[in-house]
Amino acid sequence: MAATFSQTLPSWMPRLAFASQHTAPRGDTLVVVFLRGAADVLNMVVPHGEEAYYRLRPSLGVPRPDDSSANKDERALDLDGFFGLHPMLQPLMQAWQSEQLAIIHACGAPDESRSHFKAMELMERGVDDERGPASGWIGRHLATLNTGNSSPLRAVGMGTRPQRSLSGSVPVSALRSITDFHLGGDARALQQMRLALNTVYAEDALGQDTLSIMDTLERLDPSTYVAARDAKYPDSEFGLALKQTAMLIKAEVGLEVSAIDVGGWDTHFAQGSVSGLMPNLMKDLAEGLAAFHADMFDHMHRLTTVSMSEFGRRASENGSLGTDHGHGSMMMVLGGNVRGGKVHGEWPGMQPGQLIGPGDLAVTTDYRDVLSEILVKRLNNPATDEIFPEYQAKIPNVIQ
Amino acid sequence: MTLSRRDFLKLGALVTASAALSSCASVYRRLAGDLPVTPWTALTASDFLALNRLTFGPRVDERARFTAIGLQAWVEEQLAFESINDFDAELPLAPFKTLNMAANELEGISNQLFDNYDRETVPNELRRATLIRQLYSKRQLVEVMVEFWSDHFNIFMEKGNCFYLKTVDDREVIRKHALGSFHDLLWASAHSPAMMTYLDNQANHKGAPNENYARELMELHTLSVNGGYTQKDVMELARCLTGWNVKEHFWLGDFVFKEDLHDTGTKNVLGMIIQNDGIKEAERVIEALAAHASTAHFISTKLARRFVADDPPKEIVDKAAQVFLETQGDIKAVLRVILLDGLSLARPKYKRPLNFTLSALRMLNVETDGAALHDYLLRMGQLHFNWPTPDGYPDRSESWQGNLMPRWQFAFELIRNEIPGTKHNLNELTDVSPSGSLQGDVDSLASLLLGAPLAGAARDELIDSVRSAGAADEETLQIIAAGLIASPAFQWR
Repeated sequence: MAATFSQTLPSWMPRLAFASQHTAPRGDTLVVVFLRGAADVLNMVVPHGEEAYYRLRPSLGVPRPDDSSANKDERALDLDGFFGLHPMLQPLMQAWQSEQLAIIHACGAPDESRSHFKAMELMERGVDDERGPASGWIGRHLATLNTGNSSPLRAVGMGTRPQRSLSGSVPVSALRSITDFHLGGDARALQQMRLALNTVYAEDALGQDTLSIMDTLERLDPSTYVAARDAKYPDSEFGLALKQTAMLIKAEVGLEVSAIDVGGWDTHFAQGSVSGLMPNLMKDLAEGLAAFHADMFDHMHRLTTVSMSEFGRRASENGSLGTDHGHGSMMMVLGGNVRGGKVHGEWPGMQPGQLIGPGDLAVTTDYRDVLSEILVKRLNNPATDEIFPEYQAKIPNVIQ
Repeated sequence: MTLSRRDFLKLGALVTASAALSSCASVYRRLAGDLPVTPWTALTASDFLALNRLTFGPRVDERARFTAIGLQAWVEEQLAFESINDFDAELPLAPFKTLNMAANELEGISNQLFDNYDRETVPNELRRATLIRQLYSKRQLVEVMVEFWSDHFNIFMEKGNCFYLKTVDDREVIRKHALGSFHDLLWASAHSPAMMTYLDNQANHKGAPNENYARELMELHTLSVNGGYTQKDVMELARCLTGWNVKEHFWLGDFVFKEDLHDTGTKNVLGMIIQNDGIKEAERVIEALAAHASTAHFISTKLARRFVADDPPKEIVDKAAQVFLETQGDIKAVLRVILLDGLSLARPKYKRPLNFTLSALRMLNVETDGAALHDYLLRMGQLHFNWPTPDGYPDRSESWQGNLMPRWQFAFELIRNEIPGTKHNLNELTDVSPSGSLQGDVDSLASLLLGAPLAGAARDELIDSVRSAGAADEETLQIIAAGLIASPAFQWR
């Protein structure tokens, strides 16, 4: 019966030019977490073995793991005898201990503008300066790799609009909530729409594929989702974004890249040392990533999550118990194939001669080195010279 | 433009009410009066297709007019756009104060001093205004060509100061010359601060050339990639363009030629030896590019691709290119060839998201203030001035086939009147063409949206499928309207 309709469409209408197929994404699903506002990474991965750290941060410094003058739950959690995690990042310890979390310290971009806007734009475009392609690095990754995947959800920007890094010639979707992809209306209206669509797309492969993705999404609702291993996502925008990423991966709707923003890291004023403004951001970040790690534990072999920020903050605290714009930052890579349980990268030191510019941590690993290694080894995309034009990546050996 | 008595009265009402109106575009829209609703009939396939190329989706009154006067007269009427009274489309733009501002004023209202820049207000106003013009303007061919040139001379508003400079470019470059001469359009674009910013010519200095604009000027704006230039020509043209820049302080945002950044050496571009002559060096090249046979061919090909077919017939392109050269790039003359000779050879094209959205809104006489539509366009992938790379939004069908979900959502949310500030007039439309039966109403609706009724069996199948989910007649018609907008047939034009 359904064939009647498609055979009697206006005669001038061509049949679809290509039939889509849903193959599983070839490489890992990549989750990119961008900490907007320049996170104070020196208080996240604390160089507790660095005397200068405590000299430069008399109020904000996070106590050493063995500092008996501080409460136990206010001390850094030792990682390797030199670095320690902020106590609010404690939820990440499990991934660290299972060697699925790698940290690359003193990581970042060469840009020294210390301007949020400029630094974010350049980093998301994956370029050194204003010249170079206007598209984003993830957009170019998608454009240069044909995975045989025509899913409308191949790349998703969590939020109201796709991140700049996703822009390019491959269509990407913005997703606030999976429920946005529900056709809406009550059950009866939904059934009517579904039947109408099924009738008009009776013999259209892409239409049928899209209907089946929509049917899948129609059954997904973040508010009733049950995570694996009793994982509890924090009740925050970040938690929701990670939860929905997990839902899309499990639903096998063709997701290859999910881009997530976490805002609020521009902590010039009263950022808090072991509790307060920034520690609360860290708590959300760590609880979110830990829940994602637990929920997705059985998928870790084909999943890589990377966190980044546009630059770091000044080594010394400022006069308002905050920190100003700095330079060197830090990246975390979470996944089943990372060389985890290790702080990678050359530590540039925090002594006067070692800091750069107005007193900032130097960059010893370019963020593109880390991303290039992930792209090549985990996403099967060798085209890093197109993704990061005019940049010669040095593989930092963060991935197994 | 002269104001009619009716327009004058509206203006009076506007002045009286202005204190209360402030920025409420929908009120201005209401003052513009109801859209005409007249009965419609099926069109021939070729007329429907032609109207779908000449407009952003024909309204009922446009169908009537086209049927009455025919293609040639319609095209001439649209080309003589100055004589089309467009007051009703301009009226809702009154709240958008930034549209007529100079660059330094735009920078001024965006600059929040201690709190960085407001990068939203100016782009939002330009985007909404563009959408409103595309929807309501009676000068549809002008708007179609504005869209074409906005792609051809693409500028991404997110890049640097383009977020406010594009407003000036849209007004002074694209709109001003959309149906003028290609030479003037290219000249204006080359002197456009938004283009200088977008393609990095600000960073093009003596001794440290930046080739970005020089390359795209030849590859994308004029000759095309195989149009007969070399990498050496790009480098030499970049040297000619050193010093073409944007003012940063007084009269900030205006074009400026900075003598001190200019490379004064001799250059050789496309075989022309160019001696030190300041700004005139690159201008000489621009003159040559505007009149080049490769440019004529490239522009004609792109126009034919937009109006006729993804792979346009060679004879149409060749004839248009010939006229381009004979008329020194008279856009109207070239369009006459493309439209009058070419449209009869047109092949179906997949609607780009903007065309899909606008055609649904126009065909169903939808009233909207445009604000909530950005989100839909963004999700479908074609928000105005949001394409990052200088090649502009793709124009070939295959680039757009694949992202159906947001189109379907738009269709159903539109018909359920769930899009904020947006309301369709489906009932009013069906009231003027009462058929007395659901079958008749569906036929009428298919004629409106697809040009012709569905075959009887297909129509009945569609009705049965929706009814089987327990829909009453009026509800069934609404669901079917949405289903038709979501259907494969409506995705093509």
